[in-house]
Amino acid sequence: MQSKRWMMWMAVGLVAAVALGSGCKKKTAGSGTGEGDIGGKLGGIGDGTGVGSRPDLNALEFAGQFQSVYFDYDSAQVKESERAKVETVAAALKKSTAGGVIVEGHCDERGSAEYNLALGERRAGAVRNYLQSLGLDATRIQTKSFGKEKPVALGHDEESWSKNRRAEFVLFK
Amino acid sequence: MTQKFWWLAVALGVCLGTAQAQVTVRKGGSAKAGIDWSRLVAGGGVPAEFKRVLEDDLLRSGWFVPAAPGAEFALIGTAQVSGQLAAQIQLYSASQQRWLLSKQYAVAPGAARTLAHRVADDILVAIGQKGMFSGHIALLGTRSGAKELYVCDMDGGNLQQITNDRNICLAPRWAPDGQRITYTAFLKRYPDVYLIDLATHSRRVIASYGGMNSGGAISPDGSLVALTLSKDGSPNLYVRAVNGGTPVRLTSEPRAAIASPCWSPDGSHIVYASDQASTAHPQLYVISRSGGAPRRLTTRGSQNVSPNWGANGLIAYASLMGKFQICVLDPNTLDSKMISPGDASYEDPCWAPDGRHIVCSRTQNYRSSIYLLDTLGDPPVALGQLSGDWTSPSVTAK
Repeated sequence: MQSKRWMMWMAVGLVAAVALGSGCKKKTAGSGTGEGDIGGKLGGIGDGTGVGSRPDLNALEFAGQFQSVYFDYDSAQVKESERAKVETVAAALKKSTAGGVIVEGHCDERGSAEYNLALGERRAGAVRNYLQSLGLDATRIQTKSFGKEKPVALGHDEESWSKNRRAEFVLFK
Repeated sequence: MTQKFWWLAVALGVCLGTAQAQVTVRKGGSAKAGIDWSRLVAGGGVPAEFKRVLEDDLLRSGWFVPAAPGAEFALIGTAQVSGQLAAQIQLYSASQQRWLLSKQYAVAPGAARTLAHRVADDILVAIGQKGMFSGHIALLGTRSGAKELYVCDMDGGNLQQITNDRNICLAPRWAPDGQRITYTAFLKRYPDVYLIDLATHSRRVIASYGGMNSGGAISPDGSLVALTLSKDGSPNLYVRAVNGGTPVRLTSEPRAAIASPCWSPDGSHIVYASDQASTAHPQLYVISRSGGAPRRLTTRGSQNVSPNWGANGLIAYASLMGKFQICVLDPNTLDSKMISPGDASYEDPCWAPDGRHIVCSRTQNYRSSIYLLDTLGDPPVALGQLSGDWTSPSVTAK
């Protein structure tokens, strides 16, 4: 009885394994072109002009001079209510031509570390784009994501999470 | 129907090897055969440690249950130290009435654990399965007070701290050679991708472009690295030769966070997480390594992240269903199945070399530790009992 059932399961497994194997082969067909073929097919990604070179490692950094910009869950959109904060930074920086600003993107603790690193970068990038739209030169803006690695509030509830979904401004000279 | 069909293929595909063995015991979910190890004679000290690690491995493999003499399998032999640790190991199958393994080993006494893992894998291969215990896990731990990179054996033992940077680090991944690890760290204030060589403990930066550098998945042939870079705007997916050159962009998402690239076993495709769709939450996509249109793989679950493409062709990932749970997806049929038991949050899955188990992190009451999940239904097992939080496991291919 036991061995009969075992044989039946095995037969099902064999058929299924063969089916699965042939499925895998299909997937590989027609792929594997050379690395050099890749580049020309893609257009621009159109999200700002890209990132300037990083400030010197020895540059002086000044944090805490501007208010943080806060974001909704899993969102990188600069909300209407947060825009005045960015406008204040743009106005301050346009008063001189020296130095620039690092926009630091942060996330709450939920979700994978790697996805949050990318999401934090998007948040920083959204603020950068708004700074640029206000006339600030792209070369004076650097983005940096900390993902979920540097929370300011350590609770495990929406009150803390809403404080951690933020972009901070750090001036450099 | 089709969903059940492919899943049977997974479950029974790995069972085919034991076709000739008589499976007598069913315990904790999956089919197991009895093994009598009472005639493996080991003295105290090092030989006893060898035997204990070997027995633990055999139980953890999911294929065996301890049994009295007369069981399907008999493990017979000796382990003793006279200068070296010498072991003589034989495995007998009652149903086949023949010796499946007969081998002698000799190592330095300090390598007792390593030898036990090697013998466990030899026994698994002898019964027609794939081994996993000679593999290693790279992981992040906070035991020292900061998040650092560690490496341990597949059973959680032999834990070694690799970095001592007191810095932010994330996303360790083994290179296919099992000798090097890539990870993302902020050693120069920004997230860059580093490659660390365990043999020499040398470390070099392999991606340090403007903005964010992460990913660092090295292709199965060892030549290319998949990176998520924001040097051109939003984080997108790029490939480049490991040793340098110009990164070639594969995705063109103007407003998306793209993360967690992982190569298909044949190196022809890359799976990744992206929130590019209107749902705003991340889902899994697959793209050819030569670019083109990505194909969305997941629709269920409010978030699907951290894909890991196994040598068995199946993609393990974390899916948010109230808590994060580990699922396994067939990229051909898009059928998926939840593997973790739902009692806690399970994240960061990585296939073990046996193609049956998945190593992941489990978080309960805000404490994280590393667990071994079984796709054939055995309960999750904690790997090690360590203080601090342990996350982001990556397992060697062999």
